[in-house]
Amino acid sequence: MEQVSDEEVEVRGEEEEEEEDSDKEDQDLDKMFGAWLGELDKLTQSLDDGRPEQPPQQKAPLRQETNMANFSYRFSIYNINEALNQGENVDLDALMADLCSIEQELSTINTKPNSAGSLARLGIWNLNARSIVHSSRSSVTSASGVSVNSASSMDSLDSVLRANESDSQQLIHQDSLSLSLCLSFKHSYLDRETSLILRNIAGKPSHLLTKEEQAAKLKADNIRVALEKIKEAQVKKLVIRVHLSDESSKTMMVDERQTVRQVLDSLLEKSHCGYSPDWSLVETISELQMERIFEDHENLVENLLNWTRDSQNRLMFTERIEKYAVFKNPQNYLLGRKETCEMAERNKEALLEECFGGSSVSVPEMEGVLWLKEDGKKSWKKRYFLLRASGIYYVPKGKAKASRDLVCFLQLDHVNVYLGQDYKSKYKAPTDYCMVLKHPQIQKKSQYIKYLCCDDIRTLQQWINSIRITKYGKQLYINFQEAMRRTEAAYDWSSLSSSSIKSGSSSSSLPESQSNHSSQSDSGVSEMTSSSHTRSQSVVSSIFSDAWRRGTQGELRLLQQKPIPSGHKDLTCIFQVSFHVMTSVR
Amino acid sequence: MAAWDLSVTVEDLGPDAPPVTLSVASDLHVGGVILKLVEKTQIKRDWSDHALWWEQKQCWLLRTAWTLEKYGIHADAKLFFMPQHKPLRLCLPNGITLRLRACFSNPVFQTVMGICRMLNIRHPEELSLLRPVEHKKKKKDKDSAEEIYDLTEVPLSSGTFTTLHSHLSRPCLYNGMPAHFADSPQMEAIYKMLSVTQPPPAPEVVAKQYRPASVVDKAHIHGRWLNSSRCLLQQGIQENDRVWLRFKFYAFYDIEPKYDVVRLTQLYEQARWAILLEDIDCTEEEMMLFGALQYHISKVSQSEPQMMSSNAAMDDLESALQSLEVKMEGESIIFKHVELSDGTVCFRPKRLTLKGYKQYWFKFQDTSISYFKSKEESIGEPIQQINLKGCEVAPDVNVAAQKFLIRLLIPAPEGMNEVYLRCENEQQYAQWMAACRLGSKGKTLADSSFQNEIQSIRSFLAMQKTNSGSHGNAPANDESINTNSLVSPRYNKKYKTKQLTPRILDAYQNVAQLSLTDAVMRFLQIWQSLPDFGLSYVVVRFKGSRKDEVLGVAPNRLIRIDLGVGDVVKTWRYNNMKQWNVNWDIRQLAIEFEGNVNIAFSCVTADCKIVHEFIGGYIFMSTRSREKSSTLNEELFHKLTGGHEAL
Repeated sequence: MEQVSDEEVEVRGEEEEEEEDSDKEDQDLDKMFGAWLGELDKLTQSLDDGRPEQPPQQKAPLRQETNMANFSYRFSIYNINEALNQGENVDLDALMADLCSIEQELSTINTKPNSAGSLARLGIWNLNARSIVHSSRSSVTSASGVSVNSASSMDSLDSVLRANESDSQQLIHQDSLSLSLCLSFKHSYLDRETSLILRNIAGKPSHLLTKEEQAAKLKADNIRVALEKIKEAQVKKLVIRVHLSDESSKTMMVDERQTVRQVLDSLLEKSHCGYSPDWSLVETISELQMERIFEDHENLVENLLNWTRDSQNRLMFTERIEKYAVFKNPQNYLLGRKETCEMAERNKEALLEECFGGSSVSVPEMEGVLWLKEDGKKSWKKRYFLLRASGIYYVPKGKAKASRDLVCFLQLDHVNVYLGQDYKSKYKAPTDYCMVLKHPQIQKKSQYIKYLCCDDIRTLQQWINSIRITKYGKQLYINFQEAMRRTEAAYDWSSLSSSSIKSGSSSSSLPESQSNHSSQSDSGVSEMTSSSHTRSQSVVSSIFSDAWRRGTQGELRLLQQKPIPSGHKDLTCIFQVSFHVMTSVR
Repeated sequence: MAAWDLSVTVEDLGPDAPPVTLSVASDLHVGGVILKLVEKTQIKRDWSDHALWWEQKQCWLLRTAWTLEKYGIHADAKLFFMPQHKPLRLCLPNGITLRLRACFSNPVFQTVMGICRMLNIRHPEELSLLRPVEHKKKKKDKDSAEEIYDLTEVPLSSGTFTTLHSHLSRPCLYNGMPAHFADSPQMEAIYKMLSVTQPPPAPEVVAKQYRPASVVDKAHIHGRWLNSSRCLLQQGIQENDRVWLRFKFYAFYDIEPKYDVVRLTQLYEQARWAILLEDIDCTEEEMMLFGALQYHISKVSQSEPQMMSSNAAMDDLESALQSLEVKMEGESIIFKHVELSDGTVCFRPKRLTLKGYKQYWFKFQDTSISYFKSKEESIGEPIQQINLKGCEVAPDVNVAAQKFLIRLLIPAPEGMNEVYLRCENEQQYAQWMAACRLGSKGKTLADSSFQNEIQSIRSFLAMQKTNSGSHGNAPANDESINTNSLVSPRYNKKYKTKQLTPRILDAYQNVAQLSLTDAVMRFLQIWQSLPDFGLSYVVVRFKGSRKDEVLGVAPNRLIRIDLGVGDVVKTWRYNNMKQWNVNWDIRQLAIEFEGNVNIAFSCVTADCKIVHEFIGGYIFMSTRSREKSSTLNEELFHKLTGGHEAL
């Protein structure tokens, strides 16, 4: 049972880390710790998944329970093993079915194990897994028609396992064992007929499948489920603390698989601030005075891990109209025009369909003179830049802008585009409309950061959005559509829950929400934008006041269609959330 | 009614046979004429494909119920009795000529449909036929040498009998190909030619090809499109004449690698030639990437001859299992590799010195490189450990000079760390390079692609070796693909082979992992995102203007190019086009856009029917996604493109 103690040590270590962190940050420690424990429970539970356990009606002590289950399961495996050695393929199905039923039982049991108890089970699980490995491995040999004594094959496998153990100087973790478990599935189930059948049935409707084919499909599905479980068990989680603008704070746990969209959704749910596709997670790098809106499909944890330990970076939870402005007024971005203009809704749709509907995304025609900051100097020089799918280019001096003469300034694969803030004073930029291109991992001043300055906000936004389109293509559109779907779903829900607002008469809520807006409107917002902009941060609206005038008219309509639940009005203000990456929980 | 003599030349009697004379009355219908004719020839055969062609009027008499009077045929009419389907030499986008039976009596649109059905190309509406660019006197010797694939024996039923919309629905495949290709080994060979990409052409071949030097040259090529609403014979195309089959409308709808093997291959070939002949402009970086993709595609297509794509769900599962396998094997392989890692790798952090490479003992584990003073110390703490995940790996290799450098650009909070690893020999380089590349993608050495990666690096090194030895004349087979044949002649002039190869290699590392289908799709995607993609040019004269200008027709817009400036001066999009008209008398096109924008122009290098067909065709292409049914709306196509000839 070395395994067990090993695990316990690990857990204790995590707890200590947790406490250390909490010493620094005083707020809602209890809550957080509670939540964290809950997560830990879930985590261990997920480790437990797929583990043999006895039917729920027996209420013996936990440890005994698993032991018994273990025993009975081994027994069933023994039987299967026997059958297998007679070379009958059918029994592979039985094994799988067995595993599945156990898994099902497990998921129906709703025990709340304390961590010690669940850890105690880990060791037993190992034994189990090993025996499964044996049986399936031997099934491989039997299926392949080579007559190998099952005992000897087990022996040899045992020795392999032992060799492994001695090699790594530690006991095998349940992870790797479950891996090997699945691996053996692969060998026994997918290598031969099954995979053949699976290939043959590709695309066939399910009701047309023969029994065998259905069985094969079932197998594949089961294995997929098993794989999911394994993945679940390996997921890294980050505990992050959320500071709100009113100095209160929230903590939340993000797991490494979560996309920005998912995190946004849970933040929206927690903060009751009314759905809008514009809610964004914005990364601000104060040291470099730049910020970037995380794209909805990005992985949050991955991005946060780029921050250094002592980072002053912040993650803000705010509404940003520029996030999806491209899709609200595509004519201002996709046509390479210099002037803003109006477009009928149906034409917008057609334009979007044209640009994003096909197999390849058409890169907006972006070109023009920009200021480039010279490396290491505070001087800026003008160059004629062009955006292409393969990167940003500039026209060398004295040449025409023929494609073959262009010089590649930057390829976009490894860099992200950031919005520079206040560079007029920081870097003596010609204007404050600057964008920055850098590798997401770079956090400090470096020659590898490229600074570009535009003449006006419009050009800047066109460039930034065009680069985003070039970089992410269709994904961006999918993100937008998804965000819109959520917004609509939220609207449906809120109209159901609020009796005063009935669907179809959404205009009735219009005066209310407008008055709400005007009461919040602040200076710095031009009169045309005020009604729609109040829900966004004043900073945002003042920066974009003029450039967004037309863009927001469309948005206004959109906002008005969504009644804001009256109780949550005050929450429509912006949260500033700063996340602290504290512990990584395995 | 009075009987009169009608003489008809029967083609099947031979070129010298005199016309057959029939005694007919004006109220006899065409079917009756044919019946009489067949009786008189006394040849027993299947006449079902035959029809009458009226030479003076340049039209087929296809309505057999119409009387001679209704057609206006008198005794002086010169009629020919001949099959509607005749052999045609078709030059495919891949440059290979195919002989097949095409329909000479239906509008070209339908002829192309028939051809595509036979070749298993879906969405025939995107293709059309083009008169070839005339070769000078050399034509003769070239023809005799050329290998011609013959498809004339394919029964017409496989072209016509199938249901009307079979060209859109997914065809039934036998052994992965349409039934008529599975008949014989010869036919299978033809299908292979159609569905497998051709090896890169020798640079001399590329250099010899006609290359349009200007927009006006390109415009002249587009004046060669055949009229879709008229039949081949009406356009002077005779039996056994040569025509080009090309993708005409650059709106490729519903590409499905599983069913579109031939379509994708030919599309790729057309794109490849457009790049090589600089029919479309691209930057140097793009050219290198195109070169790398061509190299990869030709290499992979030799090892996996069919573009097989299995079920996506299966692939998911397989790859998931594969990655599991990798994790399992990981430990053992890493230990193995510790022994592989040797101290001969030299290392230089860029900033420190100019030429100081220091020798360390290197170890590659997971996705990190660690280095130690010596092998003995490698058990302890490394001097430094570098995690390669997310870093850029670039080769700096010169085989002739035995220089094997790996340049690593490793992101860190402070910026990029530039590090060079110097390997002693090819073998070591290939291994470490492969490891670094995998590491940069977050994969360990245990990844199943490790060996492949090593292999591809070595074959690329081999290529550099052969190239540096003999210039240009290497045969285009697997191991020794000539890098000169991967880029346009311009870059062959600009760079020497030994400069070119590393640049392509550089681009190659980003695509080396792609499957054949993915690589082809990537090539097409990059091609499609070039700014000039899909532009067909016509020299026009705008109403009220006194100089020639160029009109570019793209899938979504029209552009006006000033020949003096050489730049786009105006763009109009179909999206806000209200209507367009052709005045067939003065052969002028007039287009009205929303917001009271009206333009009118006459065409100089092409018939205005061609421009009309382009615009109408693109409008038609854009309706496809909206229409639910998968049948090709032929009527709509003719309505939009036919003009006064509309059916």
